[in-house]
Amino acid sequence: MSTPTDTTQATDKSLETMRSFAEQYAKRTGTYFCVDPGVTAVVIEGLAKHKDDLGAALCPCRHYEDKKAEASATYWNCPCVPMRERKECHCMLFLTPDNDFAGDQQEITFDEIRSVTNPA
Amino acid sequence: MSAALSVTDSTFKQEVLDNDVPVLVDFWAPWCGPCRMVAPVVDEIADQYAGQVKVVKVNTDENPSIASQYGIRSIPTLMIFKGGQRVDMVVGAVPKSTLASTLEKHL
Repeated sequence: MSTPTDTTQATDKSLETMRSFAEQYAKRTGTYFCVDPGVTAVVIEGLAKHKDDLGAALCPCRHYEDKKAEASATYWNCPCVPMRERKECHCMLFLTPDNDFAGDQQEITFDEIRSVTNPA
Repeated sequence: MSAALSVTDSTFKQEVLDNDVPVLVDFWAPWCGPCRMVAPVVDEIADQYAGQVKVVKVNTDENPSIASQYGIRSIPTLMIFKGGQRVDMVVGAVPKSTLASTLEKHL
């Protein structure tokens, strides 16, 4: 497993902001979290970390030449343009019900997230 | 822990390019959800094709040069190298069967 043991977590404040955003956005768009809550937890932590570092929730499932420039460009800030236009989230945070990996949850607690992302 | 060897910007040439056997490279990042799903699949592939394929992983956050050199955008991206050349690529958390059939083409 690629467990992120040596990776810094986001601040509690940003994590709560992104957790709350993810729940509301899933409900508003009729999308669901992944059947594996570990995926959801890691992505929300990554979004919150980018919010801390860059001031914007840049998608954590892409590689960028320049993260600051990408955050300014806004295309990949969550919810990204492909998500807003076509409900495409390659990070698997927001899944349409027909997706094989979609679970039945639109909620995740702060502690559930940290139970996954805390260093082993 | 993953069975796949971690490769860096400085060891990429030696571990990936200078190889006689095909090399499967898993480009991943720590806070990437689908990378968590594909990691065990990559490990299974490493076991199943032991001796035929070398399997390594690259943390794109820590090794931006290699990731940029190969044009990595969406993560996870799985690349197959043969004789120092990139010969195939799969993007996203794919099922094991997809990865295996892609790999089989290059054995």
